[in-house]
Amino acid sequence: MVGIVLVSHSAKLAAGLQDLVEQLAQGRAHVEAAGGVADGALGTDAAAIAEAIRRADQGEGVAVLMDLGSAVLSAETALDLLPADWRPRVALCDAPMVEGAVAAAVEASLGSPLAAVRRAAEEARELRKL
Amino acid sequence: MSTSAQTARWLRLAAAAMAEHRDELTALDAAIGDADHGVNMHRGFQAVVARLDETQDAGSIARGAAMALISTVGGAAGPLYGTFFMRFAASVGAKHEFTAAELAAAFRAGLDGLAQRGKAQAGEKTILDALAPACAALEADLANGEPLSDALLGAAEAARQGVLATIPLVATKGRASYLGERSRGHQDPGATSAYLIVKAAADAFAGE
Amino acid sequence: MELTVTVHDEAGLHARPAAAFVQAAAGYKAAVRISNLRTGKGPVSAKSIIAVMGLGVRQGDEVRLHAEGEDAAQALQALAGLLQGERTE
Repeated sequence: MVGIVLVSHSAKLAAGLQDLVEQLAQGRAHVEAAGGVADGALGTDAAAIAEAIRRADQGEGVAVLMDLGSAVLSAETALDLLPADWRPRVALCDAPMVEGAVAAAVEASLGSPLAAVRRAAEEARELRKL
Repeated sequence: MSTSAQTARWLRLAAAAMAEHRDELTALDAAIGDADHGVNMHRGFQAVVARLDETQDAGSIARGAAMALISTVGGAAGPLYGTFFMRFAASVGAKHEFTAAELAAAFRAGLDGLAQRGKAQAGEKTILDALAPACAALEADLANGEPLSDALLGAAEAARQGVLATIPLVATKGRASYLGERSRGHQDPGATSAYLIVKAAADAFAGE
Repeated sequence: MELTVTVHDEAGLHARPAAAFVQAAAGYKAAVRISNLRTGKGPVSAKSIIAVMGLGVRQGDEVRLHAEGEDAAQALQALAGLLQGERTE
């Protein structure tokens, strides 16, 4: 199953979204959170993201959801911290974080491959709420 | 020859500069950003100094700085400067002594890595607007046969000019770009911290 | 094959019920589509969580399920049951 990593400037946000997503996918998704920096301050930490990617990987790749701006920079830097052969197995999803994470986790729980999980996350861009 | 000890000194001087200029950087960032650049850079460089091991080679020292910045700065400057020092480290390698040319090459590698990571170009009102002229000046002065200490002074001066040149620019990258025209007339905080880092290098690597 | 069903869950077809619905639909070989008869949205694939959430289905809405393929009948029955709030074994 494709693993999911949630990257946020806020540790609470990442952990809260992890709870929500795990519930929605009925415990069938493998989700890791990487939020905040060392002393609990707001921000993103590429080293922590790389570790979350390692933990989330079950052998079929990892989809990464990010919140704002520099979360993307940190996630890209995390790819530099992993061995080069990991790069094609990690998909940074160009998606809104909450809906994208839900879509990715549900898709992953169906056993879909990484490309389909990323696509599902990115479809969330079109989702209208009201 | 430059040394790994000077590399460590560079980072200590940069940390001192971030402490000294923390409020100034914060004020600059309050005008066109999240008002956290000063605090972030101070925190990041405190972490750099905390894990600094003078006995290591230059590459290891620089990579240690990269990892500290990546994990503690928090904002965009973390992965950006982190990438700078990671590429610097890879370029200079596991050496305790290195030539001026090797130092310049490491700066260039760091600059290119940072530019690539941030997808920025000159004139977008960013770190690059100080760092790129500094690197160009360093390379040009060394090519002209100047000694390293003079070339680094030239680099610091070019960085300083680059910082001032950001004032009339409209930000088209990063957090400040959300302000559009309102970013005009303000000195860029990222370029300012970049100047401080270059100046610290000029002080540290002076006197080969 | 088609079935019209009234949605029972108080969350409609959002969040957890949507996820459960999609996970159930994915278990069938049949191609399954769903439309929201109240809003006229759809048909969309019942196997796409984003598409299903985009239908905006509320409690009490009528939806139409359409299935084609070898286990279409079973798929319709199971999914209709889910939407009507029948307990799964």
